[in-house]
Amino acid sequence: MNIRITYNWLLDYLDTDATPYEMQKYLSLCGPSIETVEKVGSDYVFDIEITSNRIDTASVIGVAQEAQAILPMFGKKAKIKLNPLTDFKFDQIKAGSGFDLRVDIKNPNLVSRFTSLIFDQVQIGDSPKFIQDRLRLAGVKVINNVVDISNYLMITLGQPIHMFDYDKIANHHMIVRESKKGEKLVTLDEKEITLPGGDIVIEDGSGKLIDLCGIMGGFNSAISSKTKRVLLFVQTYNKSKIRKTTMTTGQRTIAATFFEKGLDEQRVVATTVNATQLLEKYCQGKIVSKIQDIYPTPTKLKTINVQYELIDKLIGVKINRKTINNILTNLGFIVEIDPKNEIIWVTIPSFRTNDINIPEDIVEEVARVYGYQNIPSVLQPPAYVNQPKGMEDLFVFQNRIKIFLKHLGLNEVINYSMISRGMIEDSGLKIEDHLRLSNSISEDIEYLRTSLLPSLTKNIKENQGKKDILKLFEIGKVYLPVGNKDLCSLPQEIYRLGIATNTDYYDLKGIIEAIYKELNINVGAIQESSFPEIIEKDNMFLFEIDFQSLIDNCQLVPTYKPLHPYAIIKLDKTFEIHPQTTYEVIRQKASLSKLLQKVQVVTLYQNKLTLRFYYSSPDRNITEDEAKIELAKL
Amino acid sequence: MDNKKYEAEINNSKSLVQLNELEIKYLGRNGEINKLLSAIKDIPNEEKREYGQKVNLLKTSIVRSIEMMKKKLSSKKSEVFFDKTMPGKAYPKGSLHIVSFAIEEITNVFEKIGFIRVSYPEVDWEYGAFESLNMPANHPARDDVETSFIDTPAHKTLGKMVLTPHTSNGQNREMKRVGKPPIRMINISKCYRPNWDATHTPMFHQFEGLCVDKDISIVNLKGTLDYFAEKYFGKGTKTRLRPHHFQFTEPSFEVDISCNVCGGKGTVRNAYMRSLQKCKVCKSGWLELGGTGMVHPNVLKEGGIDSKKYSGWAFGFGIERVIMMKYGLDDIRNYYSGDIRFLEQF
Repeated sequence: MNIRITYNWLLDYLDTDATPYEMQKYLSLCGPSIETVEKVGSDYVFDIEITSNRIDTASVIGVAQEAQAILPMFGKKAKIKLNPLTDFKFDQIKAGSGFDLRVDIKNPNLVSRFTSLIFDQVQIGDSPKFIQDRLRLAGVKVINNVVDISNYLMITLGQPIHMFDYDKIANHHMIVRESKKGEKLVTLDEKEITLPGGDIVIEDGSGKLIDLCGIMGGFNSAISSKTKRVLLFVQTYNKSKIRKTTMTTGQRTIAATFFEKGLDEQRVVATTVNATQLLEKYCQGKIVSKIQDIYPTPTKLKTINVQYELIDKLIGVKINRKTINNILTNLGFIVEIDPKNEIIWVTIPSFRTNDINIPEDIVEEVARVYGYQNIPSVLQPPAYVNQPKGMEDLFVFQNRIKIFLKHLGLNEVINYSMISRGMIEDSGLKIEDHLRLSNSISEDIEYLRTSLLPSLTKNIKENQGKKDILKLFEIGKVYLPVGNKDLCSLPQEIYRLGIATNTDYYDLKGIIEAIYKELNINVGAIQESSFPEIIEKDNMFLFEIDFQSLIDNCQLVPTYKPLHPYAIIKLDKTFEIHPQTTYEVIRQKASLSKLLQKVQVVTLYQNKLTLRFYYSSPDRNITEDEAKIELAKL
Repeated sequence: MDNKKYEAEINNSKSLVQLNELEIKYLGRNGEINKLLSAIKDIPNEEKREYGQKVNLLKTSIVRSIEMMKKKLSSKKSEVFFDKTMPGKAYPKGSLHIVSFAIEEITNVFEKIGFIRVSYPEVDWEYGAFESLNMPANHPARDDVETSFIDTPAHKTLGKMVLTPHTSNGQNREMKRVGKPPIRMINISKCYRPNWDATHTPMFHQFEGLCVDKDISIVNLKGTLDYFAEKYFGKGTKTRLRPHHFQFTEPSFEVDISCNVCGGKGTVRNAYMRSLQKCKVCKSGWLELGGTGMVHPNVLKEGGIDSKKYSGWAFGFGIERVIMMKYGLDDIRNYYSGDIRFLEQF
């Protein structure tokens, strides 16, 4: 998530001599990334990326805390001058009387802290100009003074607030409970939400739902221009519950993006006090109740032991102990050093409870503020790791065949691993043999392919007219489901080589034979069934083979045949070919002769096939007559 | 025996055919020279010697004249213009996909420092894509990794079947394969996310580096990134780490590399106006390469490796992204469209 705050807003809390642009540069290197700085009037707007573990920095005070630790490392002054988190306490609020709110929390696991306070004589109107200006720069809609204050404090302190119209809560009674499946409520944006069940909701004394907690308030209890009494409502919720509800209902509000990450219960105090100050000052609100603060299991601060040595080891250089202690202190940690100066006991501030759990987390804090740019750069010492032969072969041969086919004039294509239902059907394959994506974003990519040919066919068709001669190939995986669906096993992922051309049968056959020759595969010696056929379809010629079978049958260097000085007799003969007498039949018959070296096609005209036969013997000169006798056997 | 008469006839011939006819006329079996020679029987004996010499001289002279004329006529023929600027004989030229090319380049860069390329499934369980990487179910961090699911019953312990949204599922598998460090892995594979627009394709490629050993530190990660940046993007390319958050690394970083267009300055000098302008490629001097970090102890533990004894680093970068940064091929939609006009360029 990103938040927008301004430079002047930050200066309310931070005393610094750093310019907005220095802040951008230094904080981005060591802390939250300030993606842009935009000058607007006399102020500067920072657009800051907040990582999901650092929701505490999604606020002005959170950024100030980071700046206090980081800027001094670059020689800049930075000191928090007003810290609501430590400076604001409940005893600064003068409780009133006359009104109250009855609260039943059905399950303590839903709300970790529940705080509320009632104000009377509230004057609904416009909020002061500085609040309006800052909210607009932060990209938040300005509504009225009460609502604006809640949004203003959410950005200042990082704690969302809700304001109810107190008089719209029937019997001034709230029941906090889990929703039942199918319950409905209309949220502030006037959307009717049907609840999946198990969501945190509030029911009022009349049995109607008035709040979808942590996400959005109910329309029926909202602040309006007629509101007189306001219920200030500051809570922290069970983050997993909020997360589940916001995902299943699709109500991704800003408040939800805060609550789903888990908020600091301590911050509720500062927020309540600060909100009270602003409601009194800008809305003329009068406190007419006691502070209701339900906080059954206060968070205990945790302490992590960290060895200085671990910090050195993981960063790779020794960092001055005092520097380490200062960095952590400026970030809000409390550091105690053991007497031997080997271990530090680091107490984690409440706002980092969710984020800091193990010593490595402390190492990160030190390393980033120390500055990654100050850490040297050295390659690790070499180590030998054996690459499994199967994996090595796969990559070596794939690359070899890719380059070979490129030199033969073919173009390599990489297609999506997912194809459409139509492509499967057009290729004569069965839908049920394919794995389907349950959340595919397009019908074009709904099924995992079990063959490379549907995509290659599509490639040829889509390229017609762009180039006369098309010869494409792809080496990629197909995904073959294993067993029946209930077996729960991953598909077989098999590399295939696919080739498609719009030329002719012999052209593609020549390419395939060239691959066999390149890999010294003796096709004659291997069962024919392991070599697939060429498919002819709509003037396209297609071929697909398991890549592994090429590797398995390949011979790195062909078998050497000794050279000999004896004469070779070449004889030509013309045959009439037909289904019983094919080239292959003639070739096999000719191969029965021990003198035959090779057969070559001279011409093929209609059914007249002229072949040239090379006869010789490795240990003597043969006569033309001997060769003729061999040839006559055909 | 007029020498002049023969020479005139020879020299006046206009073609090799005409010259051939003369050659037969003079030197052929029934030619004039032979006639002269057979006439020797009618010559008085005392003159025979001189006569013979004269005929031979004439013959030699005619042979020479014909030869010279032959050369002259045939040299005329070879004056046909020989254009060396014509294209040579056409040989076939195919193409490799630019992604295949980049994969080979990257594999070679890492092979030189002992990293082996591995191959792991593209279809995996949620466990491999998330849980083994310290991302438990319902964790908000999963939001950052949109995932395509397969419509098949979930595994009892390993979760749903997914298309791997990153190459990081190779981490746990490689740890379990080797059993015990050292690990020096480069995993290059197709990845999938349900995202299809001008800058995203639902399938893309990543390369994942993983190094686990005794005493591996941030210093080593920086060393490796600097090595890769210089080898792949060119000498003088610098890297920069910025803090980030990933569940499977602690600390986590984002890596930037210095822009080769402006030399990392963020500005370029305009040749005409002689003024400094913002670099159009990087805007700030740096280009974001991807995510990296020190392997989280939970990830090591899940892979069966003692995190007290060993530490490591990992990164995962997009192949399409590094191609874009290095070669400026920024229209990613063409990569997998199969358009021959795109493919045949490489």
